[in-house]
Amino acid sequence: MKEYDVIIIGGGPAGLAAAISADKQGAKVLLIEREARLGGILKQCIHDGFGLVRFGEKLSGPEYVERFIHEFRERKIESELLTFVTEMKKADGSFMLTAVNRQGVQEYMAKALVLATGCRERTAKQVQIHGTRPAGVMTAGTAQHFVNLQGKMPAGRCVILGSGDIGLIMARRLTLEGARVLGVYEVKPEPSGLTRNIVQCLDDYQIPLHLSHTVTRVFGEGQLTAVEVAEVDEHMRPIESTKKKVACDSLILSVGLIPENEMAEKLGIRLDGHTKGPFCDNHFMTEITGTFSCGNALHVNDLVDYVSESGELAGAAAAKYAFDAVGVGSEARIKSEGNGSETGLKVEGNGDKFGKKAGECSGGSGRKNAELEIEVNSSLQYIVPQKLCLGSGEEMAVFYFRSRESVAKGTFVFTVDGKEVFTKKYRNLKPPEMERLELNLSLFQAAPGSRIEAAVRKEAGA
Amino acid sequence: MKELTCIVCPNGCRLEVEEKDGEWIVSGNQCKRGEQFAIEEMTHPMRTICSTVRTVFPEAPVLPVRVSVEIPKERIFDVMQEINKVMVREICGTGDPVIKNVLGLGADVIVTSSILKEE
Amino acid sequence: MNVKSLQKKLGRRYGSAVSVRVAEGCIVVSGHLKRWEDIVTACSMCVDKKSGMHVVNDILLEGEKPASVRLPSLQDHALEGSRPDVLIIGGGISGVSIARELSKWKLDILLVDKEADLAVQASGRNDGEVHPGVDLNKGSLKQHYVLLGNKMYDRVCEELSVPFERCGQYVGFTDWWMYPAVWAYAWQRKHICKVTDTRMMSRKELAKREPNLNPAFKFAMFNPSAGCVCPYGLTIAYGENAVENGARISLNTGVLEMEVKEGKICSVQTNRGTIYPRIVINAAGVFAEDIARMAGDRFYSIHPRRGTNSILDKKAGPLVMGIASIKTLKKNTSHTKGGGILHTVHDNLLVGPNAVETPEKENYATHRSSIDAVFAKQKMTAEALSERDIITYFTGVRAATYEEDFIVEKGRKTRNLIHCGGIQSPGLTTAPAVALDIEKMAVEELKKEGAVEPNPAFNPVRKAPPVLNRLSNEERNRLIRENPDYGEIVCRCEEISRGEILDALKSPICVPTIDGIKKRVRPGMGRCQGGFCMPLVTKIISEFLEIPEEQVRKAGEGTEILLRDTKEIRKTGEAAEI
Repeated sequence: MKEYDVIIIGGGPAGLAAAISADKQGAKVLLIEREARLGGILKQCIHDGFGLVRFGEKLSGPEYVERFIHEFRERKIESELLTFVTEMKKADGSFMLTAVNRQGVQEYMAKALVLATGCRERTAKQVQIHGTRPAGVMTAGTAQHFVNLQGKMPAGRCVILGSGDIGLIMARRLTLEGARVLGVYEVKPEPSGLTRNIVQCLDDYQIPLHLSHTVTRVFGEGQLTAVEVAEVDEHMRPIESTKKKVACDSLILSVGLIPENEMAEKLGIRLDGHTKGPFCDNHFMTEITGTFSCGNALHVNDLVDYVSESGELAGAAAAKYAFDAVGVGSEARIKSEGNGSETGLKVEGNGDKFGKKAGECSGGSGRKNAELEIEVNSSLQYIVPQKLCLGSGEEMAVFYFRSRESVAKGTFVFTVDGKEVFTKKYRNLKPPEMERLELNLSLFQAAPGSRIEAAVRKEAGA
Repeated sequence: MKELTCIVCPNGCRLEVEEKDGEWIVSGNQCKRGEQFAIEEMTHPMRTICSTVRTVFPEAPVLPVRVSVEIPKERIFDVMQEINKVMVREICGTGDPVIKNVLGLGADVIVTSSILKEE
Repeated sequence: MNVKSLQKKLGRRYGSAVSVRVAEGCIVVSGHLKRWEDIVTACSMCVDKKSGMHVVNDILLEGEKPASVRLPSLQDHALEGSRPDVLIIGGGISGVSIARELSKWKLDILLVDKEADLAVQASGRNDGEVHPGVDLNKGSLKQHYVLLGNKMYDRVCEELSVPFERCGQYVGFTDWWMYPAVWAYAWQRKHICKVTDTRMMSRKELAKREPNLNPAFKFAMFNPSAGCVCPYGLTIAYGENAVENGARISLNTGVLEMEVKEGKICSVQTNRGTIYPRIVINAAGVFAEDIARMAGDRFYSIHPRRGTNSILDKKAGPLVMGIASIKTLKKNTSHTKGGGILHTVHDNLLVGPNAVETPEKENYATHRSSIDAVFAKQKMTAEALSERDIITYFTGVRAATYEEDFIVEKGRKTRNLIHCGGIQSPGLTTAPAVALDIEKMAVEELKKEGAVEPNPAFNPVRKAPPVLNRLSNEERNRLIRENPDYGEIVCRCEEISRGEILDALKSPICVPTIDGIKKRVRPGMGRCQGGFCMPLVTKIISEFLEIPEEQVRKAGEGTEILLRDTKEIRKTGEAAEI
């Protein structure tokens, strides 16, 4: 069995950044990727606009990720490609991984794990599309794979449901390749994708965007022949009288992304119902000590630059954890009991030696720190990390949050026991656009049991 | 008067542009870049385009490309026509041009993936 | 039977629009009505089981042209002039199980189905429950065969290498006062109907076995012999074993017409040529009546009944480990138990089905209302059931006769015809037993014209390809070392390797479509519904068949997934080269 300090699962932008940063810390790193090539979904994201924050350039997806692949190779970090993890166990403070690849069944051991498994798309059935089951209905990501990697067209006259970024990008992409995009239908009253994509992918090509509209039904026995579209009311229920048929040969769906955390769930990691990613502390460590989460597996990001950033932070923290782990004694495990996970942690022996007590942190230095959950009110969709490890003094932490609704003028506020400790003014906060903050944790002068709250306050009159 | 959404930064300011005596008057912008964006959009909007070109290599039947600098928006489909004519027969990688100075627009069409060099 | 009083009864309800008569040993109901439900009711009113006659429906649905059967557009002569001993029409569970049992004999067996795969209609669209038969009263063919069929499942599934779980069925009751009645019912079923292991279960035991069921359940009826199987998996396995033993299966083959002379089918016309069979077995599901008509032996009618099931993510799997449903006091008019929650052999949950009468035999469209209705009911079975876990749903159409019983018998007027019709729930359970009887009838009929020898090469055991994720790591490792394709995972949700997909392509009944592969080895069955693997499976199929990807189909004719190469549309100029 091969042993590592840190194993990273997933070779997309988050996993690559995590591997590089763990390697920089001096850890012995292995990256496991299920596909034949590194790069994750960016391999098929050939449009530009990646890396503006990080590199100040508008790169295509492959260009962006190749910069990381290049560094990954330069550093001679080990990787296993076309390798699929089938089992994970935590035993005696180490993680045992079983995987399969073309060579056989492999086993690996690591002190820390970084889960960088990305996300998947919601499907037609998950948004209650009914009718027949013809060919021609697929997610935007699947269409993107066909067009950009295989050079094949899945659409002639197409309707796009959902104004997520991939859907918008594919509207333009299919148009450039000769398809006719009849319209983009979005059930919400606001677009889900970034403004620049609405402008550059739809407006530029005169593709209509129908807000508060949805596709209710598909028609066609063999091939899709038409979809039924309808306006929706304020509860997003289709209005019967507005139903009409649109003839088309393909329906492309861009109706949301779901972090892939089946691996995490196998370990019994608690997920946040809002992000659908693990509950994490400011080192992106989940509630199963020694496992870290980053990128779109942690929460769905708007920009890849932040995916890479969270990967770097998680990778570095995992490396530190792996080094510190050597000295850590036996402590009670924290695993969130009773969360119904059937496939929970398979712990050998009498408990998880590397678990941590509730209210304790991954700070690593062995100091007993306070761990506090951040409460969010209804003004926010979520904030990541969801918990803070306090007490280690001066330390920077990165936060990502999304506003629940569009706010023209507002103030983001952190309070500790009702007292404002941080405020920042924003203009044009929008749900599709994620916000990032980098703060010194010394701001949070909190005691164990303190309440930390995050909210966006709308400015009066705005 | 024309309404525009600024895409320079994520703020997405709603801009209003008006021509007065040969001068462009921009309002709604929160920064200088917004004004510049609006004027450019009115006078000579520029865009980047990304697509793929065919190859003879079965492991990558198409290769991603983009224009090296922005091209006039109204020339997008002309450039696409040029891109669609390309057939890559030799190994090339990120940054290599497949069309130089496409249609005399001052932009090269460059490869944005090194997949062919990976194998 | 008293036709006059029946006519009076109909008259009171439908006036002169409907009339009934007895003709050629059938109860023929004719006329015209505006609503399909009325036609079903009128015909149901005319049922007289004691007479041995069946209801034949000749009532026209006003203002609607009956949908014609969807036939393949393929035209060739692949079957022209073939003279099989047995022609089986229908590649559902009935047809293939009959083919397999008949392949024990040295016979030329040809099975035809108009679809591009086996199990496309009812057999591919049901819940997969292996019924205990507790809901059936004595005297029906259904009841007779369900007991026999249920007992055969362990052996059949082992021979055919198909996963089968006797997971047990729980019917929960929320009212104590119902206990005596239910107890008496169970006693009757156990001692009179011979469902020998049915029993009452205490609330405590129920809670121990199925902790997530409605806490308001006071007691349950428990049927340990109930089980579940993958219905299309079993159908395909039966078909493969039949083919391994010499039977032929011709897909995309629709029966168009028959030539019948002096009570004997002389020839059967299909889109792939005219067939001259010695005997014909009608296992055509919802189209059994149409086949019977072509054969000059229409003595029953089918009224299609739609049912919709939902499949839930494996994450929801542990909610119910067996089969569970709630029994409420509402009068059951829908000829079904009203659905339930079933833990499938692949560890998903299946919720459903409902039951809706329909004139359309092939309308598989789903409707939100069906799912909402089923969930509303099944949340009373298990509160934590959530629509949010749904990963897919589908509709199937049951082939019910008005007597709500099977037709398993030789032709009444046509001698060389055997009917296996009216097969609806529990038709999957009964299939192994029905197939044995039909085998007997067919052999008996064929023996009239000469000896029928056993097939010495018959092997009841299907050579099944391995399912890698069900193997131990040691075994898996060994297989991957023999064939590295088994180590390359293509479908991440269901953990299916390239090797398994290639096995499906090399299987005895190769159906090289996305759905064909999906049914055989499950890529695309998981939570992403093929979002990630569909392009990869498309590529594997195109490479295997050496066809361009745009010729790869989702299912049958006209279901190509891709239109063209991206660059193909513009024919301007020569390709520039670098």
